[in-house]
Parts: sequence; C-alpha cells; structure tokens
Amino acid sequence: MRHRGETMRLSGSWIAALGLALVTQPVLAADPIKIGVIAEVSSISGAAIPNAAKLAADEINAAGGVGGRMIEIVEYDDHNSAADAVRAFQRAANQDHVHAVIASYVSEVVLALQPWSGRLKLPMITPGAASDVISHRIHDDYANQKYTFHGYLASTFLSDSVCDGLKVVGVEQLHMKTAVVMSEDAAWTIPLDAEYLKCLPKIGIKVIDHIRLSPDTTDFTPIFNKIEAQKPDVIVTGISHVGVQPTVQWHDQQVPIPMIGISSQATSSTFYKDTNGATEGVIYQTISAPNVALTPKMIPFTDAYVKRFGITPAYCGYTTYDEVYYIADAIKRAGSTDPDKLVDALEKTSWNGTIGKIEFYGRDSEFTHAMKVSPEYVSGLLVQWQGGKQMTVWPAEVANAKMVFPSFIKLPAN
Amino acid sequence: MSNIRTFGVIFVVVALLAMLPFGVSGYVLGLLTLAYYFGVFAMSWDLLFGFAGEVNFGPSFLIGVGAYTAGLLNHYPHWPIWACVITGAAASVAAGLLLAIPALRLRGPYFGLVTLVAVLVLQNIIVLFAGVTGGEIGLDLPDVLSIDDAHNYWIALAFMSISGALLFGLSRSAVGLILQASGQDAVQAGALGFNVTKHKLAAFCVSALFSGLAGAMLVFYEGTVSVGTVVDIGVGVQVIIAAVLGGRRTILGAALGAIFLIVAGEILRPLGQLSTFVVSAVALIVILFFPGGFLGTILRTGER
Amino acid sequence: MMKFFQILIDGFAISSLYGIGAIGFTLIFGVSGVLNLSHGAIMVTAAVAAWAVAGDLGGGPYGGAAAGVLASVVMSFATYLLVVRPIQTSRRIAREEKEIFVLTGTLLWGIMLQEAIAYFFTSNPKTVRPLVAGVINIMGVRTPRQEIVTALVSLVVIGLLWLLINRTRIGKTLLAASINPRGLTLLGFELSTIYLYVWGLYGVLAGIAGVLLGAFLGVSSDNVGQLTASAFSIVVLGGLGSVSGSLIGAFVVGYLETITAYLISPSIRTIPALLLLVIVVYLRPQGLLGRR
Repeated sequence: MRHRGETMRLSGSWIAALGLALVTQPVLAADPIKIGVIAEVSSISGAAIPNAAKLAADEINAAGGVGGRMIEIVEYDDHNSAADAVRAFQRAANQDHVHAVIASYVSEVVLALQPWSGRLKLPMITPGAASDVISHRIHDDYANQKYTFHGYLASTFLSDSVCDGLKVVGVEQLHMKTAVVMSEDAAWTIPLDAEYLKCLPKIGIKVIDHIRLSPDTTDFTPIFNKIEAQKPDVIVTGISHVGVQPTVQWHDQQVPIPMIGISSQATSSTFYKDTNGATEGVIYQTISAPNVALTPKMIPFTDAYVKRFGITPAYCGYTTYDEVYYIADAIKRAGSTDPDKLVDALEKTSWNGTIGKIEFYGRDSEFTHAMKVSPEYVSGLLVQWQGGKQMTVWPAEVANAKMVFPSFIKLPAN
Repeated sequence: MSNIRTFGVIFVVVALLAMLPFGVSGYVLGLLTLAYYFGVFAMSWDLLFGFAGEVNFGPSFLIGVGAYTAGLLNHYPHWPIWACVITGAAASVAAGLLLAIPALRLRGPYFGLVTLVAVLVLQNIIVLFAGVTGGEIGLDLPDVLSIDDAHNYWIALAFMSISGALLFGLSRSAVGLILQASGQDAVQAGALGFNVTKHKLAAFCVSALFSGLAGAMLVFYEGTVSVGTVVDIGVGVQVIIAAVLGGRRTILGAALGAIFLIVAGEILRPLGQLSTFVVSAVALIVILFFPGGFLGTILRTGER
Repeated sequence: MMKFFQILIDGFAISSLYGIGAIGFTLIFGVSGVLNLSHGAIMVTAAVAAWAVAGDLGGGPYGGAAAGVLASVVMSFATYLLVVRPIQTSRRIAREEKEIFVLTGTLLWGIMLQEAIAYFFTSNPKTVRPLVAGVINIMGVRTPRQEIVTALVSLVVIGLLWLLINRTRIGKTLLAASINPRGLTLLGFELSTIYLYVWGLYGVLAGIAGVLLGAFLGVSSDNVGQLTASAFSIVVLGGLGSVSGSLIGAFVVGYLETITAYLISPSIRTIPALLLLVIVVYLRPQGLLGRR
C-alpha cells in the first residue's frame, strides 16, 4: 500500500513541478540540468533509483543548484525490459534532451543501453548493474563506449569483497573449510562465479560444487537437497533476480548450512516481511547498511530517505544519490554539459559519497570507468538479518553485532 | 469504387506520414519506427488468422527465428546487413514450413497449441546455448541501419507500406478468397476442388516471410537482439492483441492496432506502472463492445 | 537410495500442486469450452490476498487462506461476468471467432490483474505464512510439514471434486453440460446457471491452488504468465477437458521435472517436459486421455 501513496505523491509533485515551471519559467535565467532516470519502478530495488535521485536533486536545488542551474530529474519506467529501456533512452536523448542518464540495476538492460550511450553521445551511469563486461567494453572500444560509467562494484570486485569478509567471519571465526557456490544464471554472475572459484581457494575454502540455477526456478528443494548431500560448511550465493523464494525454502526445509554472499533482494528493509522472517540468519555483502557510519553522509541520507519514502533505500539508492551529486560536480567542473567535456570531468571525479570515496579506473585498467575498490575508496560490508534487523558483522571497525544463526544451522565443529 | 477510394485515402495518409520528420521530434519518430515494424508483425498474423482461419499463438517464433538468424550472422561472420536480413527471412520461412507441415494436419485449438509450444522451445534453445546466442542477455550488433531518426523512420515506413500493399493485395486476390473460404469451411472449399492444405501452407510461408523480414530489420534498428524483444510470448501476445484490436480480416487494421498499442503505451507513460493496465483495459473494452476492431467498425459505419 | 526417496517425496508434493493448479483450468474448458488465460493471474491474486490478510491485517494463516480463496472466487465470477459471458452472448462476434475472442479477452484481463497487483503490492515475490511450520523425517528425508499439507490438501480437494462430479446431481449436470449442452437446455436446465456453478467451483479450486503455491514456493505478479503456461501444458498433455487426464499430466510433468533437477541439472529442469509435450502434441494431439 505504501507504493500507492508514493505514486500519489509523485503525481502531486509532477503537478507542482509543472505549475512551478509555468510560473517561474520567465524568471529562471539558466536552463535546468536534466538527468534521466531509467529503472524498473515496480520492484523495491528499482524504485530506490528514482527516489534517491529526486532526494539528491531537491537537496542540490535547495542549496542553489549548480551555478544557479536547477537539477531536474526525468523518470522513465523500463518494466525491466531491454526494449523499453532503449526506447526510454532514445526519448531521453532526442525528445527530453537530458544531459546524463542514470540507468537500471540489471546488467542485461545496461548492456543493451551501452551502445546507444555511444551512438547518441549521452553519458550514462549505472547505479546497480554488476557485469564486468560493461567496463571491459569501454576498455576495448574506448572511442565509442567512453560515455558509460560503472557506478557500482563490478562482479569481480563483489566476489573479492565476499571472499575478504568470509576470510574473517567464515574461516577465522567459524572454521569453514568447504563451500558450494550457488548463483543464478545471468550476465552479472558469469564473472562473479569465475572470481569466486579463484578467490575462495585463496582464503582456504575448498569449492566442492558450483551450481548455476535458472532465474525462473520456483522450487529450490532439489538444489538444496543436492547441496546438503555434499556437506559443505557454507553456501556462497550470487542471487539478485531470485531472493525471496530460495530464502523461504532454505528456512522451511531447515537446510543446516549458512548462506553467505550476494543476495540483492535481502538488502531491502522489506525483505524480512516479504519472507515472513525466513531471512533470519542470512548474511549478505553490501556497500551500505543502516545505522553504520561508514561515511559521514551515510546516516543522514538513510534518515532523509526513510523519512520521505517510509523504507530504507536498497543498495542502488545509495549509489544513485551519490551519482546525482557527482554528475552535478562534474558539470560544475566542466563548466558545460557538452557530453565529451562531461565525460572528461567524470573521469576526474573524486567525490566523497555515502558509500565511500568515488573515483574511476582509467583507460589503461581493464576495468575502465569502473569504481575504484579498496578500503580507502569503496569497499564492502557483510550484514546479517537478526531479529528482523540488518546488523553489520564485518569489517570489525564498523560491526555492530556478532553473528547469530537460527537453531537449525549446524556450524562446522572446531 | 470503394477500393479506389480506400487506396486514395491510404496514399494520402502514407504521404502525410512521410512528411512527419519535418515536423515532429526524433523521439516521436523513434516510437513510430518501432510501431511500423510491429505493424508488419500484426499484418502477417492477420493473413494467417483472418484469412486462413488458423490461430497462430506463436508469431514470435517466426519473428524470433528471423531476428536471431540475422543477428547471429552479423555478430559472428559479420555479414552485411542486407545479407543478414535476407537470410533471416529465408530461415523464418524454412522454420515456418518445418512447423506448419505437420501442424496443419491438426484441427482447431491444437494447431494453436503447437505454435505456442514452438515459441517455448525456441526460447529454451536460445537460453540453453547461451554461449553462442548470448542467452537472456542477448547479442549486441556491430551494425545498425542508421543512427539518424528520420532515416530509420523512412526505412520503416517504406517497409510497412510495401509489406502492407503486398499482403493486402494478396488477401483481395483469388488466392485470398480461396483462403478465406478454406478458413470458414474447409470441407466445402475442399469439395469445390481447392487444395486447402496447400493454400494454407502458402499463407503460412508468406506470413513467415514478412514476420522474419520485419524481425530481422527490427534488430538492426535497435542494435540488439534479445529474447525479451523478439521471442518472448509477451511479444506474440502484443501482436495478436494489435491485430484483433485493429480489426480482423482487414490487414491494414492490424497495422493500425499495432501503432495504437505502442503510441498509447507511450502517451500514458506519466501514469507510470499503470500505463499497461490502462492500455489493456482499453483493448478489452474495444474487443467487448466493438468486436470488429477499429477498422472493422469504421468500415461498417461507412457502409451504412 | 536416499536420492530415490527425495525424488519420490519432492516429486509427489510438486505434482499434487500442479494437479490442483491445472484441474480448475481443465474443468472450465471441459464444461464451457473456455480456455481461461487469466488463470495464473487469479492464482496469484489468491496468494497475494492470503499474504496480505495473514500478515499486514493480522488475520493469521487460516484467515489468510480463507481470504485468498474468497478473493479467487470473486475474481473468477468477475472474469466470467465481465469478460467471458459478454463475448459468448455477443451477436456481433461470429461463432467460429468466439474462441479467439475469449482467449484475447481473458489474456487482457489477466494482464490487468497482474499490473494491478504489481502496482499495489510491488512485483517482489510473496510467501504466504505456512499453515503448519516445522519439518518431519520421512524415510531419512527431512521434509517440511508444509510440503505434506500441500500434497494432502491437493489430493483431498481433487477427491472431493471427483465425488462431486460423479456422485451428486449438480455434478452430473456439469458432466452432461460438457458432453451435450444443447440437449441439457432441452431438458429445461438453464445453461447460464450451470456456468455460474462451474465458475464458482473453479474459483475455489484456483484459490486453494494459489494459496498452497504461495505457502510452498512463493509467488510474484511476474509469475502470472508462467503459471498459466504451465497449467496449459499440463492440461494439453493430459487431454483438454479431461479431469483425470490433467491429474496424470500433472504427475508426469512434476516427476519428470524433479528427476531432471536431481539427476541432470536444475538449470534444464523444464526442458524434458517440454520435449514430451511436443512429441505428444504431434503424435496424439488430443492428449493422453483426451477425446476428440
């Protein structure tokens, strides 16, 4: 029901914006800076993208805009379809004349948009897609692809982050020695799994099996039974399109093995209710967590978002909020919205955002235009669902809880 | 007389549409470009349903074969666009024959079932061989028809007009009448000495040819080929709704329905998520209260 | 050996669920000749209603289940009265075209329901609170109690349906309507009343299936098309309009999928069933137990 209120408010603000535009048009000397936002609005993660963008734009505008120019967010719903997204992108470029686009958390959609970003010379940043292919394409064909920026961790870095965390919480604290990797079959998990298979042995965890499941799987019983028969110490996950169903079935079947890894849907605060609490004990990797002061900006943003939209921002809410700010910053530095100048300025971005310090790798890196990942830039956290709350368990500097597992989980003996 | 008048009206309409790039924005052109390709999908479907009386639940099987053949040939051996499009259309006809020869033995809903299953099989094959086809992600193509909105628009408009003229002509020819007779009463048409199956097979091939051509052209307009845009059952559903909405047995109505669906979806975009709901509701109301569709209803009113 | 029992038990639960999901679909076709393509949407409506009432409104699992079935019955009547009947009685639609109109109409209606659910409740998957929680051990296989409840409820409901059709007056009338509707009207029966009964019955079946599905596997508005397609394939496999054929079809598909998932790979779970469907449609288009 929350959704309805949101949209009503949305249409209210549309009317208000229209009224404002009609009234103030002649007074405003400078044209607004337009940022297009393309996302799937009916999913909770997707809705966080336009919401966070509006929040950032309102803040910037309240503080006087960018050199007197206001920021205007233009929203498009892509219904999670590549064709709809391409259409929206063309509209953004040719009809609405936006200056930059923030697009989608789905790798498939972003990969379809990427050539268009080059063809139409319209800078685009993705706040949530993970596939390494995005930045590899920029590296291989810089002249045409340089308009795309990867504003979220590339899959390889996601795996590395999970491994870094598992080394501490899994190997050192729980004495885990073996794992089964369970990922959904999708663009973003191909490099993710490849890196899992490399980095898990390095931290001393043997991978017994590697399962890729179809994203339209509804019955996970055979998968969990198969995994259980192999007796691993941990299930390392790579799931995003699926989430509620495997989690609920893991809980209902009382699979005695902990799940740790990437589980994008679990980052949303509504996940506990959607799974009827089955997510208790699940540990997921993320770049932001409620009530953790990873950066000075994180908690104020989370609070403002919750106050306005009633739920916590999903992971791509944080990245989108930062993106609007550093696009504005780049336009200010470039002194222009010319796409090539804007790309140059974005490449020089060094922005202290909610999730850390944001800089992009350069042309010589194989991860061209991907966010730099390391403790001094952006790095990951492990968060566990405990009693309906998301508690940070790693890294130790910011952890606010110790790991707790439901009674059906059997941890490896020391 | 009425035929001449109809042609006059259509000629004027096409001429006016051809002038659009001088007046409207690139975005509107992009939208109509897509709608024109869908128009060809819907017209091809109408030939099969409206005239041959066969309900093809899998128009996206024919579209998808054409689109993927063209896409793969451009992505891997890097054939020129025209060769990809022609081969794509040929592959679509071949796949259509493979499907239709055994399927046409079946009667009633069973023909429809086979065509529906064909789509599911094609979709699974593409996903299963993800290493070659790109799976759910799809393939991006090195070549596109043009990045200029007006050029793309004219190509699509010309393509739809020519396809429409050919399909319409066919439907009004002697062959079309035989098809219509076989569709309504196959036994009687057979008794009159017509080879019903052969005619239906021919209709299926023509339908496949235009579906495959349009599918192949569409991927070179969008620059990507993916399951969601050319194979998914949802795509086929949209084609069927467009044809029924525009008016069955009119060929041209099908194109009208396709343009309506796509343009209406976009006009209602400010409604956000509800736009699909409203478009479906409007389509349902048209089907319930004006079962002749747009063109059927207009023509009937005109005749009175 | 362990694997054998796992396949046996899991396959049984999923097959029973498929059975109850498909049986309403085939019933409507058998009695009134309607292929209801909003089937998946009605099941999801039931599941989401159950989820909302059990959770947000504090109705508890039983209140939720009741609300789910009620929502399904309401939607079923709405489908019949707003979409199917106007098409069937329309004089402007030729007889041979009614079929495609009913298909298109119910399809559009299903899309409307799906979009409405996504709008009000988001497209995130929901799981209905299980009627009973916990697990028990059967022949060494740790089985959730919910799985057993799913299988039991499905089979009991299917059994009751069989009794209703074969042992009661109303059931025999339904049967007669499926064989010779014109003859039935000559005997003084009102066909529209019979259709109302059958749509009510369909609503109950689809509602129970939806609630069980929501509790066992979880559903989202994005599953609507997939659910309709899977009911459709099962029904075609078993024979359109044949209730016992659909039940056999459900068990064939359920076990084939489970065996594939266990012995080959979960990622190609649906493919052997699909191939079987292709073969059956070519060789025996009326399905395993269908009549022409």
